[in-house]
Amino acid sequence: MAQPTMDRIDARAKVTGAAKYASDHNLPAMVYGHMVTSTIGNGRIVSMDLSAARAAGGVIEIYTPGNRPAFRGTLPPPLAPVFAEARHPLADSEIHYYGQIVAMVVAETIEQARDAAALIKVTYTALPPKSSFEDAKQNPADPPVTGLPLGQPIKKPQDVDIETALAASQVRVEETYDIPPRHHNMMEPHAAVAAWQNGKLTIYSGTQGPAAHALELATVLGVQPADVHVISPYVGGAFGGKAFTWAPALLAAAAALALARPVKVVTSREQLFTVTGHRAASSQTFGLGTHRDGRLNAIKHHTTSQSIVEDPGYRTTPKYYLAPNVDIRLMVTPDMNLPTATIMRAPGDEAGSFALESAMDELAVRLGMDPIELRMKNYLESTLIEAKPYSSKHLDACYRVGAERFGWSRRSTQPAAVTDGDWQVGLGMSTAILDSGRASTTVRVTFRPNGTATVGCATSDAGTGMWTIMAMTGARALEVPVDRIRPALGDSGLPVAGNNDIYGAVGSAATSTVTPAILVAAKEAIGKLVEHATTAAGSPLVGAGDVRYDGGRLVGAGTSVGFGELLTLTRTAEVGAQGTSAPLDESHAYASYAAHFCEVRVNRWTGDPRLGRFTTVVDAGAILNAKTARNQITGGVLFGLAAAMFEEGKVEGATGRISNANLADYLLPVNADTTEIDVHFLDHPDTRLSPTGARGIGELGTVGAAAAFANAVYNATGKRIRTLPITPDKLLA
Amino acid sequence: MRPYTFAAARSVGEALEQARDGSAYLAGGTTLVDLMKLEVISPAHVVDITAVPLRGIRAGAKGLSIGAMERMADVAGHDLVAGPYPMLAEALRQSASPQIRNMATIGGNLLQRTRCGYFRDPATPCNKRSPGSGCSAVDGHNRSHAVLGTSDACVATHPSDLAVALIALDARLSLRGAGGERSLRLADFYRLPGSTPHQENELRPGELITGVAVPALPWARRSTYVKVRDRQSYDFALCSAAVAVNVRGGVIGEARVAAGGVGTRPWRLPAVEQALKGKPMRLETFQAAVEHAADGSRLLSRNAFKPALLRRTIVRALVHLAG
Repeated sequence: MAQPTMDRIDARAKVTGAAKYASDHNLPAMVYGHMVTSTIGNGRIVSMDLSAARAAGGVIEIYTPGNRPAFRGTLPPPLAPVFAEARHPLADSEIHYYGQIVAMVVAETIEQARDAAALIKVTYTALPPKSSFEDAKQNPADPPVTGLPLGQPIKKPQDVDIETALAASQVRVEETYDIPPRHHNMMEPHAAVAAWQNGKLTIYSGTQGPAAHALELATVLGVQPADVHVISPYVGGAFGGKAFTWAPALLAAAAALALARPVKVVTSREQLFTVTGHRAASSQTFGLGTHRDGRLNAIKHHTTSQSIVEDPGYRTTPKYYLAPNVDIRLMVTPDMNLPTATIMRAPGDEAGSFALESAMDELAVRLGMDPIELRMKNYLESTLIEAKPYSSKHLDACYRVGAERFGWSRRSTQPAAVTDGDWQVGLGMSTAILDSGRASTTVRVTFRPNGTATVGCATSDAGTGMWTIMAMTGARALEVPVDRIRPALGDSGLPVAGNNDIYGAVGSAATSTVTPAILVAAKEAIGKLVEHATTAAGSPLVGAGDVRYDGGRLVGAGTSVGFGELLTLTRTAEVGAQGTSAPLDESHAYASYAAHFCEVRVNRWTGDPRLGRFTTVVDAGAILNAKTARNQITGGVLFGLAAAMFEEGKVEGATGRISNANLADYLLPVNADTTEIDVHFLDHPDTRLSPTGARGIGELGTVGAAAAFANAVYNATGKRIRTLPITPDKLLA
Repeated sequence: MRPYTFAAARSVGEALEQARDGSAYLAGGTTLVDLMKLEVISPAHVVDITAVPLRGIRAGAKGLSIGAMERMADVAGHDLVAGPYPMLAEALRQSASPQIRNMATIGGNLLQRTRCGYFRDPATPCNKRSPGSGCSAVDGHNRSHAVLGTSDACVATHPSDLAVALIALDARLSLRGAGGERSLRLADFYRLPGSTPHQENELRPGELITGVAVPALPWARRSTYVKVRDRQSYDFALCSAAVAVNVRGGVIGEARVAAGGVGTRPWRLPAVEQALKGKPMRLETFQAAVEHAADGSRLLSRNAFKPALLRRTIVRALVHLAG
């Protein structure tokens, strides 16, 4: 089936610089805040010498714990207090982690603010920090009960004794997989420009959920949510890091209120590592026991992580393979002197899929079985715990088509058997599964006299292609060319349903959530338009009996009129309606699937691993825009491969300092590290999920990518690397 | 960044006149401006030498000369460099990023400061940045740090790829200062850290590098620069090797071998060169020759892989030249 494809409608604005991101906004009389962060990991501030900073040119105010802004409330439950920093910036003199905000200088220019900040001398009483995850994971604790499913044990059957079940299995593997902390490092740092007028806050701040951001700001600032207007049309990458509200936006808003001047706060790259969230380190032990024919008998998945945010067991293991005995649990290392953990692209899924899909590869080796065959032996047709049937699952076809495209049959089953000059070559594969759902949300569709129609929702486009999908879906629903649709998003004044839907573009569910609501809203708006055509003074169709909407025109009584012309004739500025999508059909489970295939080349002398080829075959429901969908998958795959090859927040156990908190030392892949990524979509619309049939894509490429790489490294070298990232030194020995 | 005064020089003479205590020359700016923004260095006076005509890439009977203000990208792509001295061009092309190579100069490259993360963070002790404050790397994150030429005061790696290739080629520096002109082997220019890691080289106050001279070495056409790093661009070497061989009838007559990423300065390996001499150009020779390449290494908590990596990087380069 030919998939629709369209260039991003916002591409030109972005590449020409016309698209204004949060920090691009400059308001009259605006001043600049620059944060100062702690240089100890645990202890308290004894004194702060602000004299030199106060004397520096242009300084207006210096906020410290001694004159902190009056934050009145806490982050609203249930998600924000768990997934973001619950402690207010500058709340007191206690230091909980290295890089914690201890002051913010406000000055007339950014340079003055930054230079004055460097003159502040802070004296601390330092205590030994509890910052080493390596140490802390030796003594983990039970997770807190939060009301969220994260952290809660999963057992099948309820009284399973997993060690006995593993021991009774004919073939077993049990290994531990370690993943270091990881930081979002989106291109656009957290930044906010805040201005108050008549008790109302307008704030330009990049966010995944404008309505949630407004609610969180309002709650902490102690004002009504309706009095906070978040404007965020363009977001320079988010990956979960902009799902919740962080200190820079709170400080900008509070300082702007106190000073009665607009305030801009831009987080430095170094500060992003500590004043915003990150993916916590995790250590996962996987035990897999099978019958000799490869059928799984027991799955043990025990994880230790900094907090419940990163729960690979809950997120991953119940979705992948059938087994009668299952024991999944999470332990945490509470009260660590580390920055706050939050959700990061495929939270739990990335870590879990690395461990599970590595363990499955190890099991395949142990069984002498092809890795795909082993996966097909344990194929899930319904969910592992609730036994709920999957709505539309073509993972088996992903394996089949992917193996064919990639040339899987040419893989040597013996590791370290294939060389090409100085390079050892290996092939690996993995499964990617991502829960797919959707929220019931609200969209407004509005017809205008200039012949355009607005399609608006308080969702977000963090580079995902949402602007374009909304335009395309609006065009389809209103039967007009796409250039007559004006999408609107990234504004807390736009409609959105309640509940968790205020979080906007999270969980790879923006397209599956918003597009069905566009269809509903379009139908409602067309109804209003027809009514208008038959009743409004000036309409050529007043009183006509059988008026219908057809391709942007109102047709009836032997005549027809375009909606723009109609509204012009009736002198009406707009006619429109809101529509809310139906709740999800809970009778089935929904997920997106992919089979990843990876070729890795490892230098036989120096051990440096390189990406050779990558193929992924994706079953993500209907593909609404092949171009942006492909872009999402390739970006996601590279995101996952970056974890395999490079990314690691390096925490000094003795100080709590992140030693590579900058983009020179925290390695992200560059073009030289990647290759053409072959993406193939199966395109089976999931019409039970929604009328548009689209499931989640964004995080899917990330899931499993690191395992495919690690499995290929094993095939190339015979070395099984269970601690990410896979760097040359680990392959030298 | 701290306040400073600024002057632009149009000639070497003007530059030398402008130099004073606490001044710094600004060439490509890729190191100086970076470190000023971090407040790792805060010169009181900056002398812009971008208009000083220290240009030209010339070849003669004695060898190659390169003006200190030539840009890395221009040198890397020059016929007089890439053909006769592949290791030079390869070292430059594997340095930094295209954007930096378009700005950074040859003189500046040789004076770039270490990438030790503690040197670059004024919140941490560092003897090189703040003499006597201590070395954070010894017990800190030291995976990228040196194993050769280190001291208790400093274990920082010299970051330049170009310098490794130039050391292998016995290059000389031309220097101009208040006392006139002088010339120095690059190998003698860099100091070991000892107890004074803040004194990195023999440059005298106000002295300016005016050019680099590479002696003629016809057999350097058979040379290469192998750089092992975590990512394939814009990353410093975990280990690198600049290797040239003069092979006649399958036998190595002479060899040049220098290494980067492992030493506190670019590290020439004369013992490896000697061990290759007169031996057949084959793997057994290479493996025997590198056996003692990393002798004298002082290992830190996270860089114990470096001696093996050094040996293997040299072998990889030799295998490449044999192929």
